[in-house]
Amino acid sequence: MSRKLTVVLLSMLVLAGAMGLKTVVTAHGNSPAVFSATGAPIPTPF
Amino acid sequence: MLGPADWVIWSLATLFEAAVVVCSVRKKVFRRYFFLNLYMLFSVLVSVGQFRVLMHYGRSSLEYRYFYYYSEALLVISLYFALISLYSVVFQELRVERYVRFGAVLLLAGTAWFSYAVVNQSSARMLTHFVYELSQNLYFIGLVLTYALWGVILKLRETRALLVQLVLSLGVYFSAYAASYAISNLRPDLLPHIAYLFPIIGCLLPLAWAYAIWRVPGEARIEPARLAVASR
Repeated sequence: MSRKLTVVLLSMLVLAGAMGLKTVVTAHGNSPAVFSATGAPIPTPF
Repeated sequence: MLGPADWVIWSLATLFEAAVVVCSVRKKVFRRYFFLNLYMLFSVLVSVGQFRVLMHYGRSSLEYRYFYYYSEALLVISLYFALISLYSVVFQELRVERYVRFGAVLLLAGTAWFSYAVVNQSSARMLTHFVYELSQNLYFIGLVLTYALWGVILKLRETRALLVQLVLSLGVYFSAYAASYAISNLRPDLLPHIAYLFPIIGCLLPLAWAYAIWRVPGEARIEPARLAVASR
């Protein structure tokens, strides 16, 4: 049980950390985050 | 209209993605890094699909935009599972795969819920916005997970050279994206120039993986620093 709770805690920490990082990165502007996993030309975001 | 540079970068990226799978088969590590290869196979298929849609409808068409962002979201999810499979390889000897799978599903569900909460406000094209938001958020989750995995590798003194190379390449890939994204937010006037960087970064990950798989034998071990000092 404690192992499962540890997994839940770690998952929540990663989620909070990642979303916090995203907030920090986007704090100074609102340009769209465009990623390209394939190298294809990126169209205008929605 | 696409310029010659766009075509070259795209072609090279697809070539490198195929090269990862070919190198894995040749070096007999395909099954060990199955999800990484699956991600690369999906990338090749998506590239072909994107090419066909682009040729048929054009870059500014709604069809290309939909196809691009939906297929990218699927690719990001498969990249997420590829990253989780690296966790499974690292934790193999501790026999905690069950907990890794549980954590991975929980984290994916949490990210989906968070993305839904963000786009819940907009009623128009909510599914499209959700897919776009989810893929963005998963990139940042991937970044944090890669750094956490690197910490685990250091803590457990993991010495499998290929595994270390794969994780480091992934770390550089995610970090480069995050840095480019941060710069484009700090200096929006640079966005048109930085936009060229994204496909190049996407091209470098399969190149690094293909090179690592080709050059580093599957059973090769890195000599730990402490052993290196003791042997002097």
